[in-house]
Amino acid sequence: MSAPEQDPRLLVHAYVDGELDPAHGLEFERQLAAAPSLAAERERIEALRRVIGERLPRESAPPALVRRIEAAVGLAQPARAASRPSWRALAASVVLACFIGSGGTWLALHSGSADTTADLLVASHVRSLMASQPIDVASSDSHTVKPWFNGRITDAPRVVELADEGFPLVGGRIDVIGRTPVATLVYRRRQHLISLSEIPDGHDTSAAPRTIAGYNVVSWNEAGVNYWAVSDVSEPELDAFAKAFRTASSG
Amino acid sequence: MASGSSDDDRARFASVVLPHLADAHALARWITGNRSDAEDVVQEACLRAFRGIAGFSGANGRAWVLTIVRHAAYTWLGKNRPAALVMTDDLEAAERNRADGACDGPPTPETALIAKTDAARLESAIAELPVPFRETLVLRDVQGLDYREIADVTKVPIGTVMSRLARARGRLMASIGTDKP
Repeated sequence: MSAPEQDPRLLVHAYVDGELDPAHGLEFERQLAAAPSLAAERERIEALRRVIGERLPRESAPPALVRRIEAAVGLAQPARAASRPSWRALAASVVLACFIGSGGTWLALHSGSADTTADLLVASHVRSLMASQPIDVASSDSHTVKPWFNGRITDAPRVVELADEGFPLVGGRIDVIGRTPVATLVYRRRQHLISLSEIPDGHDTSAAPRTIAGYNVVSWNEAGVNYWAVSDVSEPELDAFAKAFRTASSG
Repeated sequence: MASGSSDDDRARFASVVLPHLADAHALARWITGNRSDAEDVVQEACLRAFRGIAGFSGANGRAWVLTIVRHAAYTWLGKNRPAALVMTDDLEAAERNRADGACDGPPTPETALIAKTDAARLESAIAELPVPFRETLVLRDVQGLDYREIADVTKVPIGTVMSRLARARGRLMASIGTDKP
C-alpha cells in the first residue's frame, strides 16, 4: 500500500479540494494530463461536490432549540417583542468577545480605524446568521437587489451576479457601521453565506486582520470604495470570491 | 440555569457557539440520522461547551463547537445505536483490502448521472454511508472544513481524513452515478 500522500486516487480529491500546495498541484496536473481515467475521476468528484452544494437544502437550527439553549445558559430572551434591543446587546457582546477572545496579539499588531470596521462587519455577519432572515431583500436578480437600496442609502452599491462562478446572489441588507448605513450584499457558497459590504471611504484597509473570531475577512479598495467580504468559507474560497467579484465588476 | 457563570462566559458563548448552531445541528443530524435526536445532542453539546468556554483558545470557534457536537453525537450513538459504531475498525481494514481490486469491478459512475441527482436521492445515499465516512464527507462537502480542521474535529491523522473522504465520495458516486432501480 502506498502512503496516502502519494496515492493518485487520494491526491485527486486533495487536488479538487485545493489542499495541494502549488508545487504539488502543478505536479499533479501533469499526472492528470497523462491519465484520462484520473481526469475523469476529477470531473466526477467536481460534479458530486457541485450537486451537494446546490441541491442539499441549507437548514438553520430550529428556533425552539436556539431558545432552549439560550435559556439554559442564561442568555434569556423573554419575549419576541424584546428582540430588537437584545440583538443590539448581543452584537455589542460579540464585538466585546472578539476583543477578549482574540487576545492582545493582533491588537498590538493592528491598530487604527480599519480594525473597528472589520469587527463591526464580522459582528453584523454573525448577527445576520442568527436572525431568521439574514437579508432584508431576497433575490438572486441584481436588477431587483440594486434598486432596493435606492432611497435607503446614498450611494447605490455595485451589484454583480456571480452564480456562474459558484457564488449565487442571495440578496442584500443594510448594516450600520458606527453610525453609517452600509450596503451589504449576500452571496452563497454551498451551505455558507458571504457578506459583502461596500463602504464609500478611501481608508487604507491593508492592516485589517484576515481572521476575526473564526471568520475570514478579505478587503480591498476600488475607486474610493472599500469592499469587505466576511464569511466562514475557507480563506482560498473567499479569495476566489473577491477575485470573481472584482473581475465581474470591472468588466 | 447556569449559576456561578459570568457575563463574560455568556458573551463568549454568544459569539463563539451560537453562530454555529446551524452547522452543529446539521452535523448531529447526519450522525444520529434524525432531527429530534440531533436537537438533544446539540443541547447537550452546548451545555458542555458553555461549561468549557473559559478554556477555549479562541482560534477556531466552528471547529471547536463541531468537535464537542461530534463527541456528544458519538455518546448518543453508543447508547442508542451501538451497531453503528462497532465495525469502524473492521470497516477501514476491509475497505483497504477491497480498494486495491476495486477499479475493474463495478461499472464506472457517470458524471452526467451524478450531476442529475436530486436532493432526496443524494440525502439517502449519504445517509447510507458508514458513520466515519459520512461525517468526513459532511464536514468537507457540506460544511466546507479543510482537511486540517476535519483531522482536528474527528481526531484522526490527515492521511486518514484523505482516505475516508475518498472512500465516502467513491461510494456516493457509485451509488448515484450508476443506473440502478
